[in-house]
Amino acid sequence: MSLLSYLRELLEQRQPHPLLVENRRRFAQFDQNKPLTDYSFVVLDTELTGLSYKDEIISIGAVKISNMQLELGNVFHTLVRPLNLKHNQATFIHQITPDQLRAARPIRDVLPEFVEFCGDALLIGHFLEIDMGYLNRATKKVLGGTLANPTIDTLRLVKAYKETSYVCDYGYCDQSLPCNLNEIAEEFKLPRFKAHSALEDALQCAYLFLFLAKKLNNGQVQTLRQLHNVGQPLLLRQN
Amino acid sequence: MKGTTHSAAPAVVAEFLGKIMPFKELAPEIIDQVARKVKVDFFPKGTRLLEAGKSEIKYLHLIQKGGVKCFIVDDEGAVTLKDYRGEGDCIGALGIIRGTLANLDVEMVEDTFCFLLPRAVFLELISSQPGFSQYYLKSFSEKIVATAYSELRHHRVGRSNDSSLHLFSIQVGDIIRQAPRTIAADASIRQAAAKMAEFRVASLLIHEPDDEEQIIGIVTDRDLRNKVLAPGLDSNEPIRAVMSAPVATVLSQATCFDALLRMMSGSTHHLAVEQKDKIIGVITSHDIALLQGHAPYSLFKEIGKQQRIDGLYPLSRKIPEMIRNLIKEGARAGHIARMIAILNDQILERLLTLLEEELGPPPVAYCWLLMGSEGRREQTFRTDQDNAILYEDPADAQQAAACEAYFAALARLAIEHLVQCGYPLCPGEIMATNPKWRQPLSAWKQCFSDWAALPEPEEVLNASIFFDFRAGFGKAILADELRQHLNGLTKKSELYLFHLARQCLSAKAPLSFFKNFIVDKDGEHKNKLDIKVQGLTPFVNFARILALRHGIRETNTLARLQVLGKEKILSEELLAAATDAYEMQMQLRLVHQLNQLEVNTPPDNHIAPADLSELDRRMLRDAFEVIDRLHAVLKTFFPAL
Repeated sequence: MSLLSYLRELLEQRQPHPLLVENRRRFAQFDQNKPLTDYSFVVLDTELTGLSYKDEIISIGAVKISNMQLELGNVFHTLVRPLNLKHNQATFIHQITPDQLRAARPIRDVLPEFVEFCGDALLIGHFLEIDMGYLNRATKKVLGGTLANPTIDTLRLVKAYKETSYVCDYGYCDQSLPCNLNEIAEEFKLPRFKAHSALEDALQCAYLFLFLAKKLNNGQVQTLRQLHNVGQPLLLRQN
Repeated sequence: MKGTTHSAAPAVVAEFLGKIMPFKELAPEIIDQVARKVKVDFFPKGTRLLEAGKSEIKYLHLIQKGGVKCFIVDDEGAVTLKDYRGEGDCIGALGIIRGTLANLDVEMVEDTFCFLLPRAVFLELISSQPGFSQYYLKSFSEKIVATAYSELRHHRVGRSNDSSLHLFSIQVGDIIRQAPRTIAADASIRQAAAKMAEFRVASLLIHEPDDEEQIIGIVTDRDLRNKVLAPGLDSNEPIRAVMSAPVATVLSQATCFDALLRMMSGSTHHLAVEQKDKIIGVITSHDIALLQGHAPYSLFKEIGKQQRIDGLYPLSRKIPEMIRNLIKEGARAGHIARMIAILNDQILERLLTLLEEELGPPPVAYCWLLMGSEGRREQTFRTDQDNAILYEDPADAQQAAACEAYFAALARLAIEHLVQCGYPLCPGEIMATNPKWRQPLSAWKQCFSDWAALPEPEEVLNASIFFDFRAGFGKAILADELRQHLNGLTKKSELYLFHLARQCLSAKAPLSFFKNFIVDKDGEHKNKLDIKVQGLTPFVNFARILALRHGIRETNTLARLQVLGKEKILSEELLAAATDAYEMQMQLRLVHQLNQLEVNTPPDNHIAPADLSELDRRMLRDAFEVIDRLHAVLKTFFPAL
């Protein structure tokens, strides 16, 4: 990292981007006791060049849920040009070619749009920690801070669902838990989407979320706080 | 933002819409526009989606995965199940179109994901897309049936490479080559022959001397040869003396396949083509043969010319192959069944004719009866023999003994040969070899009277096989007389019909639901639907009971339904629905059996709903709905049921 860009980053960190200021303002007061239908959610997935700290986001897919309905006309899907194309070892998995990446816009241009897309929504993802890690690293760099949106991890909801409702005939709970989104979708017999496309994975995850939110606690989950409580340990995180 | 990122709706919904009626007929750009308005919602099993008379319908719900049941709860709380709907089906269309509240209660019977199309978007499609409202308002319109058939052909059988669809697509009116040539009935034979030579035609239509429009007969080359030249008739005689009358006619909009069936069943080579009560031309078997109709017709002729019984074996084994081609070319099930019946009858006729030559003439006239599906002309690829012999009452004991011996021998030989021809034995021994089913007319009458008087379960079962009898060969008038006797019996015997109707209504197999279909719970046919027992038999039984009740002589189910419609016993609407439903199921069954034959599996009636296309499934479900309506009609006739 050159000295110049280091200085620029410092400068940006001192003065967060107006979008982030707005983002923080939105969640300064956050009420968890409203019914789920009053919140909006953005279900997201990212594709990465790899999983090391050097790796970068090369694709973001996200879909919006409001009134607990998934809006198919309101989606976000874009490729991102990484700083270092050589790192992209995963072409084989996500089927994104180097040429496509060269033609894509850099994260600097994409992120503001994405932050705007997320708006006042809670962020949902499967094993979201990973996606948020890379996203926040990028927002720190580009916008001078991290996202304040509360997050929900569907993996934790799946665990909660299995613990509460998957008691088998012998009275013991099946703890063997597939973590992979596609295996879970298969097990719950959800409509299926193609794996390893950020948008399709986000859609798959959104279906999983709708399923879980309405099935957890025998369909008795009304408010965000209740969703939080069934999904112990900590589901909701406020940065 | 959208302009620079991803502006199209996810492929999932466009793909989904592209597969279901009537959305699949929309232009791709319209599908894309619609897809962007769509939302997804999830409803756990047990969710009550709509409440009749209370719920406002804000969205058209299209089931992506899962299933719902639609029902009505009456004032006393009794629940009537109306319908199950599954993947690709919609909920709420009629309510939106008519601007009413929900008219049915709808509850999820499985965890269900739906695509939600906002009411306004749907209404926009209804008003802007031709055919859209029609689709929803007319659930079983001709158009869909037609589309379904083309889909069946296209997806489930594939196109046969060597054939065109001419026989089924071209209308008779289109192959007329010239205006009909006519001559007055009082013209001489010589004048007629001169006119035929002048116009180079093989036939002339004959009209009344004072009215050219009034066609009363036809004369052909063959008539001149057989009726004039051979017997040495005076050619100054009026042509009226040698004409064939009345003229067999066919409607100009009939398909050439229809015409072919007419020619084969009436053994006539010329058909006058009728349009709005006017004869517009004549077509011949040659015209049809030119249209690639060679296969069925030449097989038919070859059978008729066969001089040795064992020569019939290979010919009859050609029938399934020929039927297969006809299905591939797009024949409808009703046509196919008639074609099979005509060819089987031809085999039988030739076989018994040759056997009579072998055994000598019978002591008394007889009629070979066909029962069951053969009697109804509803066979498919593999048909067990169901037959019997009915003969004239012998004059004395000596003749009776001669009859017994002769017909026993005839039956034994005929049935052996039929087995060789590929018609398996009847497992229930309902065959002419069984002395019980080889009797003189008076004994048959007595037998039917006994059944009608004592409706024990076995007798009721006999009825379903025997009461669909028809003459297969021999003196048909004997069969007619027996039919009259039977109609006399059953029209009077409400009690007997009541038992038949009760059996018809009670016939329900052990059931479970799979993809909203009633299927076998377990065993060899788990998750399969017996399309014969559960689908077709209710129609057959319904038509039989009402035919017996109203003295209708027809045995074919579709023909019985036609007569019931004509006599106003069935409403026009229900007649159309029942006909479509029945024919659609026959088609599915034929295609199913055809596919089995292609992989050398013996044909059966067990269809897996999971293997059907969305359209097939919806049509099949509509067909099952018709059964309930038919049963409701039965209940009006037999209120005690």
